[in-house]
Amino acid sequence: MLDFSRTWLPFLYLYGVGGIAFIVGIMLILRTKALNKEIAHHRIWLKVLYFGFGFYITLHAVFILLALGSS
Amino acid sequence: MDLAVGTNLDRFVIIVYFVIVMGFGAYFGKYSKTTSDYFFGGRRFSWWLITISIVATGIGSHSFVKYSTKAYQYGFSSTMTYMNDWFFMPLFMFGWLPIIYYTRVGSIPEYFEKRFNKTARSLATLMILVYMIGYIAIQFLTLATALYRIYGIPLMATVVIIAVATTIYMHFGGQTSVIFTDLFQGLILIFSGLLLFFLGLNYLADHTALGGLQAFWQNLTPDQKLPLAHFNHPPDFNFVGIFWQDGIAGSVGFLFLNQGLIMRFMAARSVNEGRKAAAFNVLLVLPISAIVVSNAGWIGRAIANAVPGALPAGMEGNDVFVAVTNVVSSPGVFGFIIAALCAALMSTADTLVNASSAIIVNDVYRPLTKKKTNDKEQLKIARFTSIGVKVIAVILVPFFNSFDSIYEAHGWFHSTFTPPLVVAVFLGIFWKRFTTPAVIATFVLGAALMILGQFFPELVKPFSHGIELRPGRGYYYIGALYNIVVCAGVGVIVSLFTEPEPKEKLKGLTLSDVNSLREIFKGSKPNDRLGEKVTVFWKLIDSDKNIVRFSKHEMDKMAAEVGDLVYVSDSRKWLGGLKSIHSVYGEPHEEEGIIYISEEQLGHGQFVKDRSLIAEKEM
Repeated sequence: MLDFSRTWLPFLYLYGVGGIAFIVGIMLILRTKALNKEIAHHRIWLKVLYFGFGFYITLHAVFILLALGSS
Repeated sequence: MDLAVGTNLDRFVIIVYFVIVMGFGAYFGKYSKTTSDYFFGGRRFSWWLITISIVATGIGSHSFVKYSTKAYQYGFSSTMTYMNDWFFMPLFMFGWLPIIYYTRVGSIPEYFEKRFNKTARSLATLMILVYMIGYIAIQFLTLATALYRIYGIPLMATVVIIAVATTIYMHFGGQTSVIFTDLFQGLILIFSGLLLFFLGLNYLADHTALGGLQAFWQNLTPDQKLPLAHFNHPPDFNFVGIFWQDGIAGSVGFLFLNQGLIMRFMAARSVNEGRKAAAFNVLLVLPISAIVVSNAGWIGRAIANAVPGALPAGMEGNDVFVAVTNVVSSPGVFGFIIAALCAALMSTADTLVNASSAIIVNDVYRPLTKKKTNDKEQLKIARFTSIGVKVIAVILVPFFNSFDSIYEAHGWFHSTFTPPLVVAVFLGIFWKRFTTPAVIATFVLGAALMILGQFFPELVKPFSHGIELRPGRGYYYIGALYNIVVCAGVGVIVSLFTEPEPKEKLKGLTLSDVNSLREIFKGSKPNDRLGEKVTVFWKLIDSDKNIVRFSKHEMDKMAAEVGDLVYVSDSRKWLGGLKSIHSVYGEPHEEEGIIYISEEQLGHGQFVKDRSLIAEKEM
């Protein structure tokens, strides 16, 4: 049966806990200037990092919706 | 189940494949002249070459067997472990990668000595070596399990044959051979995995009234189409346990501790090329790899639903990959796809063997030996060490064969050896306050608490997220969360009660120093003035210094100064940096369009007469 624990709970947990790890990582590299926003190609990398996170959220959400749509 | 699989044509195809790969690897042996070449490929390769070779490293032969099984049982959620690696990318790309690249550490244990002390290095060496050699043994066992059915040779004899075959190209070639054979095998892996999916869709189209893709989609239940497993059920395949074991411990372990992967990134020609390889790998290649390793199981499930009786009755989980491949492919094609399984084994094993011998030379031989040996002797030792590593791996095979399944052997291995290392390296890089006594306590006391958790599952229960406890078998994946918490707890508590490390000892070894690493690497302030690439032809001069000389005009075009770092490569981009060198700008000369290089640099770069070179300033 496709209840909440089978569909959206894993999704929320994945991007909740994983999201915390991601945001902490971004904050650390910005604060230490390991990623320096004053350097042009570092700004591009920052966008790539955000894009990657968005890409995986979208991919998982779309597949959950498709599965629910076929039930 | 007794599976009769393969024809003589299939057997022939597999043998031809082995011969091609061995010849390919042995050919690239000429590019390994020093231990740096042997282990790091001379730090010269382009991002795309690194990316494809990482595919072959990441997909082991166990991947096909293991993920096909889970895909058959649970559907698309078999892809979970391939789709949860992005969370640590900021810290990897802008923290760990520049640290290991610019500090020129030869191995992960060497980092432990620089950051902590020799005892920490010894403990890390021991744990990493046991982990990697055991991993190689599992790879040998998996492939032998598939091949001995096809050839009818006893399992252990098959293991020995595989070990000998991989030794031939590894022994002479080192990292360059590994990268180029892995490039070839990575492409074969992706192609054959997608070919299997295509053949499966064709099979469904031929045996149902629907088109292939439509038949595939309609013959999976909504439950099997979900990309994530049930939150905490069943105990042997649930989301939350796999998230902690793979998404957290596994991702950090793979990105930060897999010596084979780290060496691959260190073979990149710059940190930025390494970042491109990492990003491309996780964003594009891993989702494709998830399809490659899982699709036999999905196709198998759709066939079982649509064409009852097509697959053998009573098929066991580990047989799904071979059985489905056998049903959907024709003679010869089956052999080709099994050859891809060989590719997966050989490419993962060669990386791990090369990484293990790097650790033995860097972290056991060099620190222990009092006698100063030259690079040539060390290279010889590295080559023979790789043979020794394989011998130990072969000896370990019967031990892993005693587990109920390869999946269980692999899971036991991961959960036992990764967490203390993960915590130690992570706190070491990102927390300056983490002290030497704390890292040793993490390894020793943390490991002791982990063992307690194995014997007393009630200790793990508070972390179980409601996962059912299996009597006599304990908590499976979620044990990783308990292991991480106890190791991190020990590390943090001991750190707070011990003296902080002196600031100068930590220079360049933690995240807070990353932006000064380039200066440490170069030995002077980096020159970041924007310049252009120039095309030049080489001219040999008599010199024993690692410098190259350009005309004044070309130096100006590159915005370069004497003492800056330069990268020179063959102008054919498709070589991916195979023919290239790193060097330092010397005093300019008067001949425009010409670069002066020494005989040693010519030999190292393998430059071709009258072939133009591209030069660019690095920093």
